[in-house]
Amino acid sequence: MKKKKIIDSEIKKRDFASGGEVSSKLKSLLRKLGVNNKDIRRTSIITYELEMNLIIHSEGGKLKAFIDTEEIIIVSDDKGPGIKDIDRAFEPGYSTATDDIRELGFGAGMGLNNVKRFSNDIEVESKPGEYTKLKAIITIEK
Amino acid sequence: MSNKHSVLLKEDKCEGCTNCVKNCPTKAIRVHRGKATIKEDLCIDCAECIRTCQYHAKYAETDDLEKLKNYDYNIALLAPSFYGQFDRKFNPEKIKKAVYKLGFDEVWDVAYAAEAISKKTKQFLSKNKGTYISSSCPVIVRLISLLYPELLDNIVPFNSPVDLMADYVDNKVDKNKINNYSIFFITPCPAKVTAIKNPLGRENSNLTGAIAVEKIYPKIMNIIKNNDLKNVKLKQKYQPFLGISWGQSGGENDILNNEGVIETLSVSGIHNIKKLLDELTRGNLKGIRYLELVACPTGCVGGIFNVSNPFQAKYNIKSNTRSKKDFIEQNLNDYNFKLDEKIKEIGAEKLDDDFIKAMDKLEKLEQLIESLPGLDCAACGAPDCETFAEDVVNGLAKKSDCIFVLRKEIGDLADQLSLLTHELPPVMNDKENNNE
Repeated sequence: MKKKKIIDSEIKKRDFASGGEVSSKLKSLLRKLGVNNKDIRRTSIITYELEMNLIIHSEGGKLKAFIDTEEIIIVSDDKGPGIKDIDRAFEPGYSTATDDIRELGFGAGMGLNNVKRFSNDIEVESKPGEYTKLKAIITIEK
Repeated sequence: MSNKHSVLLKEDKCEGCTNCVKNCPTKAIRVHRGKATIKEDLCIDCAECIRTCQYHAKYAETDDLEKLKNYDYNIALLAPSFYGQFDRKFNPEKIKKAVYKLGFDEVWDVAYAAEAISKKTKQFLSKNKGTYISSSCPVIVRLISLLYPELLDNIVPFNSPVDLMADYVDNKVDKNKINNYSIFFITPCPAKVTAIKNPLGRENSNLTGAIAVEKIYPKIMNIIKNNDLKNVKLKQKYQPFLGISWGQSGGENDILNNEGVIETLSVSGIHNIKKLLDELTRGNLKGIRYLELVACPTGCVGGIFNVSNPFQAKYNIKSNTRSKKDFIEQNLNDYNFKLDEKIKEIGAEKLDDDFIKAMDKLEKLEQLIESLPGLDCAACGAPDCETFAEDVVNGLAKKSDCIFVLRKEIGDLADQLSLLTHELPPVMNDKENNNE
């Protein structure tokens, strides 16, 4: 079975008011498809972190979700500063968030660490000053 | 009459407006043929529809005092919020004595068990990591099992105070001497009635039934006014003031805070709570160990069967319990906190048991949503376009139930009709063309 795209959303820079909408929408779709609770929970957390990353760090981008009976794939694709040191970016507590972002309660440096922790696999591709493309794979428990 | 629920509809009073439909937190109501219907599998007995209906077409069923006659021995359990109903400086002893006079042989405070749960919760939180949710409000437990099953493991695995107290009292009854006895809960809300008929996390309830506060309140006031209550002997020795503070939102956490557990948050009002649970699912609540979530605004004092204004009742309880800091001495081993079984997911959202079929339906659903106006006008009888589309995909509604779709279909039909009138049978002459 070919993977079906169930989410294709444009995320705007600093659009905090919409933060969480994609994650909620995806949760509701997965619920309709009968995906188990554990995988819904971790997909929600991953999607929310990626969504907020686009809002906080990028110049805007796209969030997509694909699914088949085996796995869920979340793809985040943005234009923006990119990630200089990908290994460090996944360390807990590492953050490049500016003070104004931290004042809003974000930027604690747990985002990408959480994405990694809750995914079965991730792939990152980035060019500093240009883009970041991240793919999180969630294997569905049967 | 429903086996499962206590919130019901009086059909003759329903005018077919969609106020309740739009305000229902689980989208459990539809209007069909001018009358509201409540979907049994989605209703969580929160009573929001009773609060919303201006025609008083929604009501909730409870037992009458008459029922006491069926038993040789009757026991009443009082909710903490019950004491908020009395506006003078309340005296729990006097109020309890008045309840005896209604025909009860024993009267007990659920607040007893509430204090025990507070102690138990403190122990539980010190042994388990993570964010936990109080199990005391049955509406919240049902909301989670329906819409947030991914959070079921976050609910503390304890019986609610009412069930715990019913077990405790039932255990004390000397069954050799008394066999035909009852335990009635004087209830502030319909959800507690449902929890007796259709318990969550346990096989059955030890409660015989529930009597709404509003049914006994005037009688209690009369008894207090006109009777000398000195000779009534209470079975319960102490007044659990700390437990009584559970009756208003924040009370449960106040106790935990006094005990040194400070990473707590209290939220009341079901729509607020849904937003909070969304955040919890996303992993976006930081630092909080314990959530006291109560569906009614202001807490149990806001239950629809209560008589006093909920804000006044909140004040009454707060002002009368503020100076009290001591637990009643009791042995936690007297209680059976543990649930009989895991709370199950209600799981009503799935489009199909088969993933491939569910995927097909989802695709149809998305296309249908695209073709709808997105105004969420509820004229179709569903709360919003998305829910309506789901009903159509599940075969529960017709696409033309949408007034905008219907209008477009009629328009298209009219266009077709007018085109057809210009089509002529081959044997006739087209006059206009001949004249040229």
